[in-house]
Amino acid sequence: MRDLTETALETYLAAKMPDWRDIRVTGLHRLPMGASRETFRFDLAYASDAEGEQSLKVILRRDPPASNVDSDRRHEYEAYRAIYGHGIPVPRMILLEEDASHFDGAISLAEDLRGYHNSEYQFQDPAWADRLPHIAQQMWTTMGKLAAVPVEDLDLSFTRPATRENTAQQELDYWVASLDAHDIGPEPIIRAAIRKLRRWYPVATKLALVHGDFRAGNFLYDDAGDLKAVLDWEMAHCGDPLEDLAWSITRTFCFGKNDLRSGLATREQAIRLWEEGSGMKADPEALAWWELFICVKTQAIWNAGTHVWATGQGREIIHAYAAWWLRNAQDKAALELMGKL
Amino acid sequence: MKPDVSLAVAELANRLRTDLLAELTGFRANVAAMGAAMLDMVADEWDGAVARLVRENRAFRALLDQGAALYATPAPGGDDENLRVSALTAENDRLRGAITDLMARLEDDASAPAQALLDAIWAELARTVNERRITSANF
Repeated sequence: MRDLTETALETYLAAKMPDWRDIRVTGLHRLPMGASRETFRFDLAYASDAEGEQSLKVILRRDPPASNVDSDRRHEYEAYRAIYGHGIPVPRMILLEEDASHFDGAISLAEDLRGYHNSEYQFQDPAWADRLPHIAQQMWTTMGKLAAVPVEDLDLSFTRPATRENTAQQELDYWVASLDAHDIGPEPIIRAAIRKLRRWYPVATKLALVHGDFRAGNFLYDDAGDLKAVLDWEMAHCGDPLEDLAWSITRTFCFGKNDLRSGLATREQAIRLWEEGSGMKADPEALAWWELFICVKTQAIWNAGTHVWATGQGREIIHAYAAWWLRNAQDKAALELMGKL
Repeated sequence: MKPDVSLAVAELANRLRTDLLAELTGFRANVAAMGAAMLDMVADEWDGAVARLVRENRAFRALLDQGAALYATPAPGGDDENLRVSALTAENDRLRGAITDLMARLEDDASAPAQALLDAIWAELARTVNERRITSANF
């Protein structure tokens, strides 16, 4: 892919926004955020008759030719727009460009909320230990609030339709198809998990906009530990909100290498906080199904990253790193959930 | 190769973290940190990979032999004469594929021999997961 440059962005914006003049792009650099998409930050200044002098801090995300997640710019862009203004803090979307010819990949521009933290590893720093309970409360009650947002109030036309009855099977089918499409060798543990999951499907208590990757590392928080924005919505879809809860408590996201899920709280604490935020009960049998499902979904993602390498479609270090680091741990998590460890 | 590969690679990872990482920021720092972590994993794997794969392959063949006897089907065959990691991994994949198929068959067979063999396969899979665990794993 060609390098993104400030000049190229200025030229593009001048053509795209004919009302803008004196466009200046400065400080463009790539951020270590997002395993599936490239993420850049820059400052944008322009003037227009309608808006006067404007100065914006901007995040740019670019779709790569191949990734570990089969999503696209429109999907994430529309997910952000769908939830914006519904009580879940997210950045404002600014622009979507789906014509890949401009930058060798579709791009989106969004408000850049600077001055906050988003590192899952910061939670292992002893200096943050006393704030972990508050951050956990912020994370899982926000997730619960997302679960409680009526889907009837949201424009979810960007994603696959779902019903309370079919969402579990639909999501399993989707990720098994991804596993099949990105085959990197036999998976006896995950295939046994799939057979177990196919013997019974939970019915969702309600439908929700499922974030799809809601965990430590994918939200911004301030020095006090207050959650400021939820990021990385490229896997958002309509479904069972228990999927988000299950994702956030999976073993491979125990970043402290202990029993704290997402490096923040025990499984039981996380469930209690989610229930407080959502006003719903997390049915234990249904949650257990979704936790095992998460092992299939995550392994499909790690395998897709490996497949990108194996087929020569890409050489992002994070895809190889994630696969080396997480695939065996995911197998172990599946064994534990099936009572076979 | 001398000095010891695991030792040298682990030290290289350490130098990346302590000397070079501090000079980098943002995306470049992240790539360097991942590179150091991957070198740690290589150091973990280097010395034991062949032994682990050979042990796994022998264990899988023994289990598949039991399955072949139970269902009067051909034995898995194969060997570990070629000790290159790529060859052992290819054989490991072949055997894991056969194990996957055998597990699916055993799950639908309530007989005591079938369930005993299924339990033995689960125990072996748990052993392989524990043996493959890298030091930096979250779980």
